Amino acid sequence: MLLEQLSGNLIQGIILGAVYGMATMGLSLIFGVLKVVNVGHGAFIMVGAFVTLWLFNALGINPIIALPGAFVIGMGLGLIFYYTTMQRLIKAPELATLLATFSIGILLEELVKLIFGSEFRGYNWVVGKIDIGVTVLPLSKLYACIGSVIIALLLYLWFKKTRAGSAIRSVVEDSEGARVCGVNVGGAYALSFALGIGLTVSSGVLLTMFIPVGINPYMGGGYTLKAFVIAVLGGLSSPYGAFFGGLVFGLIENGSYTLFALIPGVEPFALTRFLSFVILLAILLIKPTGLLSTK
Amino acid sequence: MKKEITKYYPLIPVFAAYLLLFLIGRNISGMWQLVAMLLFYCALGQAFNIFLGMTGYVDFGYVAFMGIGTYGMALAITKLAHIEGLGIGIIIIGFILALLMSTLLSVAVGAVALRLRGAYFAIATIGVNEGFRFLIEGARIWNGSEGLIFTAQLNEILGREAASSLMTYWADIMVLIIAALAAFVTLYYMRSKIGYALTALREDEDAAKVMGINVTKYKIIAFITSACFAGLVGATSWALKTPYVFPPEVFEIHYTIEAIIIVLLGGAGTLLGPVAGGLIYGISKYYLAIFMPGFQLLIFAPIIIIIIVLFPEGVVGMLKYRLKDSALARFII
Repeated sequence: MLLEQLSGNLIQGIILGAVYGMATMGLSLIFGVLKVVNVGHGAFIMVGAFVTLWLFNALGINPIIALPGAFVIGMGLGLIFYYTTMQRLIKAPELATLLATFSIGILLEELVKLIFGSEFRGYNWVVGKIDIGVTVLPLSKLYACIGSVIIALLLYLWFKKTRAGSAIRSVVEDSEGARVCGVNVGGAYALSFALGIGLTVSSGVLLTMFIPVGINPYMGGGYTLKAFVIAVLGGLSSPYGAFFGGLVFGLIENGSYTLFALIPGVEPFALTRFLSFVILLAILLIKPTGLLSTK
Repeated sequence: MKKEITKYYPLIPVFAAYLLLFLIGRNISGMWQLVAMLLFYCALGQAFNIFLGMTGYVDFGYVAFMGIGTYGMALAITKLAHIEGLGIGIIIIGFILALLMSTLLSVAVGAVALRLRGAYFAIATIGVNEGFRFLIEGARIWNGSEGLIFTAQLNEILGREAASSLMTYWADIMVLIIAALAAFVTLYYMRSKIGYALTALREDEDAAKVMGINVTKYKIIAFITSACFAGLVGATSWALKTPYVFPPEVFEIHYTIEAIIIVLLGGAGTLLGPVAGGLIYGISKYYLAIFMPGFQLLIFAPIIIIIIVLFPEGVVGMLKYRLKDSALARFII
């Protein structure tokens, strides 16, 4: 009985994990290229969720079709914030970029609150579900998982096969060397930041399918913390590492919930959140290069 | 001897500001509430500045120390209320417990997080307050998510009259004393080896290390001192002023944000900065709440971005630069 429940939850965990992984790729991409930690990460996920909600409720657009729209909006936001703020802070001490991204997050939250209000709201996208024996999977979640995998593959191919992708990879290796070889380093920074934000905003679209209680402007905070844990699991600066970190995290989160629920007198949900914090500290201490790295 | 005294001149404007606040609150009716809020923000800024300002490390989980201090006071009052004849002594025990608990938490967090640098440190601390909150709620420590309410115990120990004057007046005076004490400690650190070591570390940690400075030691000193003051602020401003504690309220990241805004606005790493920042932030927040309720953060977020990009030195940093060669220079650091 327990085993059945556990395996059911772990399957759900992998599906959620793939979406978590995709939601963290933007964070790792930005850190990998610009060495900037986007502390406002969760707020961009929230923007994606609100884009989905608005397109669905006002125009009846299906969330999968909303995905490219959210990506474009995210790229736009990324470019705006890069050229107004981040560009001036690339050489500044870390304190400055941390606080700037943090404030950008607050600004987005407050703007969305101004437009949509702070109460929880949701939408209802019914596409059926399939029963696989140990658990019942809603098709919407399955689509979100498939979408995440496709986006991760597309990003991988883009980095390997296109000129812009190799330019960014060269900047990651050695930005001075890249500059000498004629790579437009400033452009690579701007493109990576915009791409990272675009990915993050589109992950918000997919994450809405996993939120039963609805979304509100302050939903991002929890995702920022989760994204940090996932990014650190994957080595912080590699988008693919982040994707696998997401899978691991989804398994840990769902598996530990099932086990914590067995202990009488505790709140399993709160303890899972505590566990993710402990994992974060443990990885940072023991293996800050991430689980996947061979170094 | 004379040199010893001139060393402490920069405290004059700080203490003058606090005295002025106290006199305004005492003598103008209806102002005490605003003064109490300003004192809270100045104390918060002064406490946070010891770490953020002096080391340049961003601790996003700072509010956890205020939360744990609040719990220290709350636990002393709820658990010891049945002992006869403690009277006001219970508050002193509460302060000791608050100090002890915030020291312990800061040692635990510092031992892990202070091994990390820059961005990694910030990432490690961003979950401290949430992590601790979920531990308390999840494992149902100290009454879990129901929190602790101790108005009745406070009334019983001190009597209704004394308890109410403690909540509305004496707690604020204690915050004032804590703020002044934090300012004194800040200046003491600045004028001692600790301050020089921290300046070197803030400018270039690797170079400081190569020069033989034990950077870890000084970072830990600043971290624990700052955490202890946060614990004291929590114990007075939260536990004594409003005798209840709920985990989601005392571990709310919002207060870390306010502390960051205050320190940056005034000028990180300066002595007078947190006072200037606390006054500017507190007064604007108070009047914004009256005229434009609900818009404070929407207004403050772009302000922080503008400060970071255009005026990274803050108000006092700019003032210091302007007054560099004048007679006033020795009063402002």
